[in-house]
Amino acid sequence: MSSTSAIMRREKRRLELANLARDPVLLLTVVLVWVAMFIFILWPLLKLMQAAFVDKGHLSAKALVSILSRPNNRLALRNSLLLGGLVALIGTALGYLFAFTYARTNIGSFWRGVIDIACLLPLISPPFTLALAILFALGPRGLITYGILGLKNVNLYGLQGALLAEVLTYFPIAYLTLRGILANIDLSMEDAAFSLGASRLRVFLTVTLPLTIPGIANALLVLFASSLADFASPLILSGARFPVLPTQAYLQITGLYDMKGGAALCFLLLVPSLLIFAIQRQWVGKRSYVTVSGKSAASSGGRLTPPWARWLLLALCLATSIFVFFLYGSILFGSLVRAWGANHTFTLENYRYVFTFGRKAIRDTLVIALTAMPIGGIYGILVGYLVSRKSFPGRSAMEFVSMINYSLPGIIVGIGYLLAFNNPPIALAGTAWILIAAYVFRYSATGIRATVATLHQMDPAIEEASTSLGAGTAVTFRRITVPLIAPAFFAGLEIMFIRAMTAISATIFLISVNWTLITVRILEGATELELGHAAGFSMLVIAIVFITTGILRWIMRLAGMSDYSAVAQIR
Amino acid sequence: MAKGIELKGVSKVFRHPERGDVHAVKQLDLTVQPGELVTLLGPSGCGKTTALRMIAGFENPTTGRILIGGQDVTDTMPNRRNIGFVFQNYALFPHMSVFDNVSYGLSVKGIPKVERRERVAHVLDLVGLQGMERRFPNQLSGGEQQRVALARVIVTEPSVLLLDEPLSNLDAKRRVQMRSEIRRLQRSLNMTSVYVTHDQEEALSISDRVVVMNLGEMEQEGTPQEIYAHPESQFVAGFIGKVNALPAEVVRVDRDEVTASFGATSFTVCGPSMSIAVGQRVSLLIRPESVDLSSEPDGPAPKGRIVQVTYLGEKAEYDIECDGTQLKAVSFDPARHGMFAQGQEVYLRMQGGSMILTDQ
Repeated sequence: MSSTSAIMRREKRRLELANLARDPVLLLTVVLVWVAMFIFILWPLLKLMQAAFVDKGHLSAKALVSILSRPNNRLALRNSLLLGGLVALIGTALGYLFAFTYARTNIGSFWRGVIDIACLLPLISPPFTLALAILFALGPRGLITYGILGLKNVNLYGLQGALLAEVLTYFPIAYLTLRGILANIDLSMEDAAFSLGASRLRVFLTVTLPLTIPGIANALLVLFASSLADFASPLILSGARFPVLPTQAYLQITGLYDMKGGAALCFLLLVPSLLIFAIQRQWVGKRSYVTVSGKSAASSGGRLTPPWARWLLLALCLATSIFVFFLYGSILFGSLVRAWGANHTFTLENYRYVFTFGRKAIRDTLVIALTAMPIGGIYGILVGYLVSRKSFPGRSAMEFVSMINYSLPGIIVGIGYLLAFNNPPIALAGTAWILIAAYVFRYSATGIRATVATLHQMDPAIEEASTSLGAGTAVTFRRITVPLIAPAFFAGLEIMFIRAMTAISATIFLISVNWTLITVRILEGATELELGHAAGFSMLVIAIVFITTGILRWIMRLAGMSDYSAVAQIR
Repeated sequence: MAKGIELKGVSKVFRHPERGDVHAVKQLDLTVQPGELVTLLGPSGCGKTTALRMIAGFENPTTGRILIGGQDVTDTMPNRRNIGFVFQNYALFPHMSVFDNVSYGLSVKGIPKVERRERVAHVLDLVGLQGMERRFPNQLSGGEQQRVALARVIVTEPSVLLLDEPLSNLDAKRRVQMRSEIRRLQRSLNMTSVYVTHDQEEALSISDRVVVMNLGEMEQEGTPQEIYAHPESQFVAGFIGKVNALPAEVVRVDRDEVTASFGATSFTVCGPSMSIAVGQRVSLLIRPESVDLSSEPDGPAPKGRIVQVTYLGEKAEYDIECDGTQLKAVSFDPARHGMFAQGQEVYLRMQGGSMILTDQ
């Protein structure tokens, strides 16, 4: 039996190869994507491993041993895991609270809108923003701690500061994941439990909660990984007593110019990150009970919560939301006063600075973001299409590799790129292309996933129909697939732009005299205590992101108007 | 224009993550003459759709060759086979109007706009959709969508037409109507067609030839009449129409007839196609409509008792228990001939000439 199955495996491989051979467009695309993935995903990782483990041409763990021999680095490893664990637990709990309130209480669309905006802001704002705002609200001379409560000697730096900033930054990810899952649970299952006599609590504990466990597990993993990778919040709020791995690696390279040590620290960070990535793919991916039927009964989830619980949940969400709004308000305030925390005279000086001395960073960031956006968007749907619709050797490997750069902490990707593209054969350092490539291969993950999800729900017969009518791979892709996955394409564009405007950890090593970024100017402002400038740049980024995503959605709606959906509405 | 199709020793093996290798189609040999409509009929999972998809080129056979019009197309992409494929769910392009859907194949082939418009108008006329050009698929009824799917295919004048359960999404009335429409179009355009269905009535009514498939293999092929009247196995007999299987014992074997006894009654069956020995246990297959019921014995006939009566208007169906065997009988026009009542004792008059002898 095993020999026949081996024969069959060979047979399948032969068919896949035959498939490639008779479809030159597919072959060419697959080869090109692989070449690009090798250069921009695998090669930098290999260079990083080489820096960490090859010493004078020999395999050696010297750099790793020397890094681990320093107590501060061992502490950083422990701290990173501790912080990650806490952020995952608290952030997921908060995310669940928000998601449940949104999806299972009849709180009305106004309050839903409030919750949504409170969760949207941290997702689209540049790094440091929340950390800076927290510093100014709760720091030693903070608006709340010192100004209102009159507390002295408040210690925000360390675990508590980084934890608060990261929870507020990352809980929206858990919220979005869990909201999607709660919304997709067929409410007739809860109704069935009610009809069988179960109480509200019992329905929640025996039906709703178990069905969301895959989502909870996923959120825990994603938040853990996000915290592990976070570089901006700890840089501002951890202080010297609470070192974490990304900041240690950053300081090792920028402070001590120790590339090998930085690479070894990155390896310490790489192991748990890859582990999470593997668990997520192997375990969580296969455990979704949610079926997208699209035909949910006209039932509302409101009966799961009694009125008093509804108000309690809403109150908790609103308290969190108000705190988030307060933090963002304080950044706006900080951008409009002479000296945040000291001299609160109104001024536009900070914005004058942003638009004169910051003009180059603004221009560079926009050029890079607007270039990365279409390239990454097209790359995203191309890879998503290949891995979900075509059969060729190495298809699942391609899917795996396409997610690597996204799953790894940005600092690893950044150092890898620095090592890989500093010298020929591919000397990209100092150009805009190294930044664009970093964005395209890291942040197209959303586009790829959205494409895969859309294609999953699209009957393959639609594409087969096109093929049987005489259209080849390229024509079918252009005339049938692309129009139908346009929403996924736009989602990919949107995320690509937001990330390109707000990224810092991957790109901090890749900027140059020629090309710099707004986020780097925010970092400078924050570390050089030019906080008004940092606040001004932050507000600018938030404004640009809001306007651009608004335009993208407007285009989408416009395209939809001339499309089938609009015509359907007319009749 | 019409081309024949040949399948030579075609097999398909799928790898299933849990069940291992699944042999969907095993060594299938099939010839479809130019202009002929052949139905692949069988239960779900019998490999009929896989076979059709291999003819289209959506699946590659694991072994064997496929020829269209005498040319080996086994390694040809579906878009170069000049086929027309009608999908079970129609697979209309949701972002295109009826006109754009139908003209898609022409525009892909680079037909000039003027000619495209003419041909689309002609075909829409043919399927009775004139005036619907600007509508979108989600504005059409199931039957209309089905017509668009047909129009989209026949406008390209394919050498072969492949239909994958095209009527299964329609209600019963519309199904009968579309069935005869497809047959009319297929005949008038002289299109070589392969039609996949699990509905035996559909297969009998539409086909020149029926191929009954089971477990990836061809069980029997023949004209609808041959398949119905002379099933070669109990599976074919049971799948196409209803059948009674009487357990019997062979009592005499002659050159081209066999006599077997069911209880106390003997039946002589003509032309058995297998080697039979006296004393062997066999099954005598007989269709319910060939079992006549009467309250008087009138010659040697087994006696049974009516267990259930199902009145269906044009006919009445009886479940009968006879010598420990459950049998079915049908009588037509019960209003004229009267009906038996539940619990009544009846005699089953059956002719050996209506029976088929198979292995038990």
